[in-house]
Order: sequence, then C-alpha cells, then structure tokens
Amino acid sequence: MIIEEVLVWIGMIVVGVGAFADLVAAIGFNRFRNFYLRLHAATIGAIWGAFLPLIGASLLATGCYCLGEYRWFMAGGSLVTALLILILAPAGSHALARATHRAGIVPVEPCIVDHLDEKQCVPGGGSG
Amino acid sequence: MKRLVGLVVIILFILAFSLLLVVAGGSIVPGREVRGLARVYLNTSYNPWSPYFTVNSPESVTSVVWDYRGLDTVFETMVFYLAIIGSIALARGYRKYIPAKLDYSKLGLSVIVKTVTRITAPLIIIVAASIALHGHLTPGGGFQGGATGAVAPLLILIIFSQYYLIRRGVRKESMLIVRSLGLTGIGITAIAVFLAGLVAGVHAYVLQNQAKATAPVSAPAYIDNQLISGTLWFFNIFEFFAVLAGFTIVLLLLTIPERAYQGGGGE
Repeated sequence: MIIEEVLVWIGMIVVGVGAFADLVAAIGFNRFRNFYLRLHAATIGAIWGAFLPLIGASLLATGCYCLGEYRWFMAGGSLVTALLILILAPAGSHALARATHRAGIVPVEPCIVDHLDEKQCVPGGGSG
Repeated sequence: MKRLVGLVVIILFILAFSLLLVVAGGSIVPGREVRGLARVYLNTSYNPWSPYFTVNSPESVTSVVWDYRGLDTVFETMVFYLAIIGSIALARGYRKYIPAKLDYSKLGLSVIVKTVTRITAPLIIIVAASIALHGHLTPGGGFQGGATGAVAPLLILIIFSQYYLIRRGVRKESMLIVRSLGLTGIGITAIAVFLAGLVAGVHAYVLQNQAKATAPVSAPAYIDNQLISGTLWFFNIFEFFAVLAGFTIVLLLLTIPERAYQGGGGE
C-alpha cells in the first residue's frame, strides 16, 4: 500500500523536525540571557519539540500495519496527548510570563515597546 | 575553596555509593527462590480453573494490595486518614475568611489560564475516575485515581482562588463527610463477605474476596457479565473518594489566607 508508506515517511520527517527543534530549544535555553528569552526557547521545546513529534508518532502508528489493531490505540493516545500539550503549554508559559512581568523582577530586554509597563522596557540590546 | 569542598563532596558521594553498591550487590538482589512466589501470584491472580485460589482480577498489583494483603492496605488507609485528621487539628481555630465584597472575576490568574483550566479540570476528574474504576483490570486503583483527581482541586485553588471552590460547596466540612463515607465504605466492604457468611451459616473470613475451600462464600466476580473482581472494585471506588476528599482537605488547609488566622484564633 502506498498510503501507509507515505504516512510512515511523513511521520518520520515530523519526528525528525521535532528532534531538531528540541536541540534548538535546548541550546537557546542555555544560551539566552534573560528569563523571557529562555521562556521563549522552552515553549519552542513544548510545541515544536513535543506537540509535533506526537503528531508524527500518531501518523507513524497509523501507517504501521505491523502493530495490528493496537496501532489505533497508539495513534489516538498520541493525538489526544498532542492536543492537550497544545492547550496546556501556552497557558503555562503565559502564566509564568505574566506573573514575572507583574512582579517586575526581570527587565524586559531587548525591548521595542511594552504597553503593560513602560518603565520595565530596556530598549536596544542585541548582543550580550 | 568552595570548589574544592564541592569536588571532595562529589568524590566522597561517588565512592560511598560504589561501596554501597558492592555491599548491596551480594545481599539485596533477590535470589532465585523468590521467583516461585511471583509465579504463584501471577498464576492465581486471574485463574478461573482453580476457583478456590484465584482473585478473579487480571491486575496482579491490585490483587496483592486489596486481596492477598488487604489488611495491610486497610491499615494504610487508616494511617492516611489519621494524617488528614492531624492536619485538620493543626489548622483548627481559623475563622472563615471571605471578604465582604468579592469580585470573583478579579481573583486568580488571567482569563487564558482560567479558560484552559475550565477545559482540563473535568478531563482530569474523568481520567482519575477511569483509573480508579479500571483499577482491577489495568494498572491503577483507588489511591492512584484519587491522587490524580486531587490535581483538579489544586489547579482550581491556584487558578481560580480558594473562594471559588468554597462557594461551590467544596469546603473542609463537606470533604470530611465524603472522606468518612469512603472510609466507612471500605470498612463495610471488608466485612461484607464475612457478614454474608454469618447469614448463610457458613465459615467466612473478614476481608475475604473469592470463595475458599473452607469458606464457600464470595463477593460477586461479575456484574452483568462485566468483571468487577468481587470486593476489589468496591474497595477501589471507596478509596478513590476517600483519597480525593482527603487531599482536597489538605490543599484547602494549605491555602487558607493568613488573614483567616488574625484576631487571636480560638473558636
């Protein structure tokens, strides 16, 4: 069957993209210089590095006839987990960023505009 | 100096751990003679061909927890209950503190997080109930289900604030009632087969599940052709409610605002 081959290949590519995104997120998480930037890297790991590979795993399981009937359980489980991560990860990072900004303990840097609190905005930056 | 101390500590830790592994390697690794025990458990957990030894539950862990060593688990539940009683005793003497003018929409975290919680909190409860209700079929059980379900009130406490829960009737007193009902259910389930044996006039044991050669009464293993494994299912349901309510009490007590204690405490 051509369709299962295509599903398996798309799934593998998507999982590969997810692994690459996880690597990028890990590098960013270590190299970025303040909290907001590191949070951005962490969300890359959550969406591109967890949501996308789970979709890929779901496609892989659907295309893999060797798993028998159980492939539907694996595909469905992966899909539901992916959707939950898609809902939960942005909410978590949003709560973290909002709490940090309201507490005002991290300067917003590099900043172009900050409508919530102009005083926290540190313009410029770029190298650090 | 600081780095040196850290290095020495790490090296000492590695050496001590290696020593521990070497010493423990000879004694703690279970010997071959233990495997017979595992074989007995796996053979008898679900075995319709030997009706006097089986638990009628394909999940060996739940069988061990609620049947082979059921008395242990009942006492564990008692210990957990006492821990809850202890925390209630610690938190005694606080006034109910609910501000007169309370704008519920201004409490808690932002609208985004609240919306996500509105979606996920019911899902958490559903997953928890399924873990508890399938505890005799798949890994899980009453305690695991209850602990999972307690995540939902924890999320609501933090994201919507405590008053949101209290206004909806999830307060210490009502949760204590649920907890006590759950524990009473566990006690009744423990002696149910024994009472049935008394009524029928045959020999029976406390915490008995399926019929034994000398005690021919058993809790129903099937209801409407669905496997419920006798007492295991009831134990899991009651334990689920007991643990869920117990954790909710502790979380509620942990998030009491400090103002509720002001004004001297006492009754």
